[in-house]
Amino acid sequence: MDRALRTRLEARFADSLTGPVRQRHDETEIRIRPADVVEVLRALHDDAGLEFAVLADLCGVDTGTHMQVVYHLWSAETPDWLRVVADGMPREDPRCPSLTGLWPGAEWMEREAYDMFGIVFEGNRDLRRIYMPPDYTSFPLRKDFYLADDAARSPGGGVRHMEQTHAPVQATQGAVRRTAKA
Amino acid sequence: MTTPGKPHQHPSADDPRIMLDDQIGQFEAVPPYPPRTEREAEFYSLRDGEMFLNMGPQHPSTHGVLRVVLKINGEQVVDLDPVLGYLHRGVEKLCENSDYHHIISQVDPLEYVSSLFMEWAPVMAFEKLLDVEVPRRAEYIRVLTGELLRVSSHVLFQGWMALDLGGLAPILYSFIERDEIVEMLAAITGQRMLFNYFRIGGVNGDLNHEFMSRLGDWMSRAAKQHEANIGLLNENEIFVRRMRGIGRLDAATALRMGASGPNIRASGVPFDVRRAHPYSVYPELEFDIPTRGGNGGGDSLDRYLLRLDEVSQSIRIIDQCLHNMPDGPIMARLPRLLRPRPGRAWAAVEAPRGLYGTYAISDGTDQPFRMKIHDPSFVHLQLVGLLMKNNLIADTMAVMASLDPVMGGIDK
Repeated sequence: MDRALRTRLEARFADSLTGPVRQRHDETEIRIRPADVVEVLRALHDDAGLEFAVLADLCGVDTGTHMQVVYHLWSAETPDWLRVVADGMPREDPRCPSLTGLWPGAEWMEREAYDMFGIVFEGNRDLRRIYMPPDYTSFPLRKDFYLADDAARSPGGGVRHMEQTHAPVQATQGAVRRTAKA
Repeated sequence: MTTPGKPHQHPSADDPRIMLDDQIGQFEAVPPYPPRTEREAEFYSLRDGEMFLNMGPQHPSTHGVLRVVLKINGEQVVDLDPVLGYLHRGVEKLCENSDYHHIISQVDPLEYVSSLFMEWAPVMAFEKLLDVEVPRRAEYIRVLTGELLRVSSHVLFQGWMALDLGGLAPILYSFIERDEIVEMLAAITGQRMLFNYFRIGGVNGDLNHEFMSRLGDWMSRAAKQHEANIGLLNENEIFVRRMRGIGRLDAATALRMGASGPNIRASGVPFDVRRAHPYSVYPELEFDIPTRGGNGGGDSLDRYLLRLDEVSQSIRIIDQCLHNMPDGPIMARLPRLLRPRPGRAWAAVEAPRGLYGTYAISDGTDQPFRMKIHDPSFVHLQLVGLLMKNNLIADTMAVMASLDPVMGGIDK
């Protein structure tokens, strides 16, 4: 845990943080609004003393109530991994600014998040499906997308494991269907 | 075939006329739907003298099932569009529906060339979620087996590289080397390829006599064998001339494109997770981070040579592991059913192809709420489009092979 990093982040991004800076093991986590993503990550990349040069990962998360985009960054200035969570996107229309202006390599990672969650990255000029076929209409990693042979939906529903982890709301509901907006 | 007497018969499958109409199994280079994005519209519109060439999806040298649409002007590649997803199995979704122990076998086949590393990052992330301390002997065994597999992966890369450029012999030598290592690992894991060996809190089995005797045997001539392998190709004029100056990648672009592993080190950036963000017992071990590539960045030959440099470093690490191996337990004490407290954890390891990471979210049940797998090859495949511009078609394979992507990990 890098306490100095915490103070630095709190001072630098006082306006952008939507929650406390959390630290556990070798990770530091900040939460921001999706609208601030480009501004905050550009500052993290460019500012002296922060200099997060490596974008280790970009991933989408469906919490069940809203969508998140999570970035993991590495810098030589701190022994911690930095996790930036862009929180609070509505599930019906999740939108987030694209990071391709800063890290062009984020293009495919954003395509993956779009393919799996339907998160639209505004400014990504190649936002099409990457794994699923082009005529596919669902977003498979969303929480309301059940596996075809999910034992939780089978009669009795007990063979899966010792407990029901994610109870299906409506068995007939299936996956959310949305047409792709580029 | 219809005969004049009979009005109609079902057509025979041998009828060539049917096969002509059959569209199944044929790939149109241009998609049969309007372009979805700006980039797609730009790529699929041809200027004067340009045409499309479809490669794959079963091209033997793409290290898996990849399809690439090339836009060419004569022999020159103007642009290219990789089409992924032929190996997509939805591993992340499967992981979200399996319990923590089961996940180790789900992630194993992701990158089948170095599957111990595919287990390592998820296991490390779960250990963080559970606040488990891994016994030192287990950590040493992990490093030992991991570095062995890194050698095997890099040696196999060498053969693959030559095969993609049309040289058949080196892959045969690579497989001799790889076979010795996987047989060795099979002695402790019981498997030759998908080891399923790391456990949350340790490893599955202790080192045994067969493993140690095979390893001792191999170590006694590993350095010499490595010298011989270097001699196989490094002085081959055709090989060197086909690689030098092709696919040049400079340090700044490599960082912006999210590259890692040997590919970024060949461009002169000394970023190695083992040193940049130390994990396991790597801080206690002595080894160098080889880099290559001068001011102009690294080309395909640099990426090839860098992997050979890393093999000698791995042999050094294996030697130290054998000398420093402590006694003690190989598993932490843990309940059978794991229910980590709600929380989030990210762990990354240096796999033979670069930074391989796992982000796991626990909601307090026995299955992760979300598990993201970051594969380095996925990012590196993006580089092909960048590096291939204005090169020859025949060099596509040289550049792609020098980035060493494995489709199993890319498609997840």
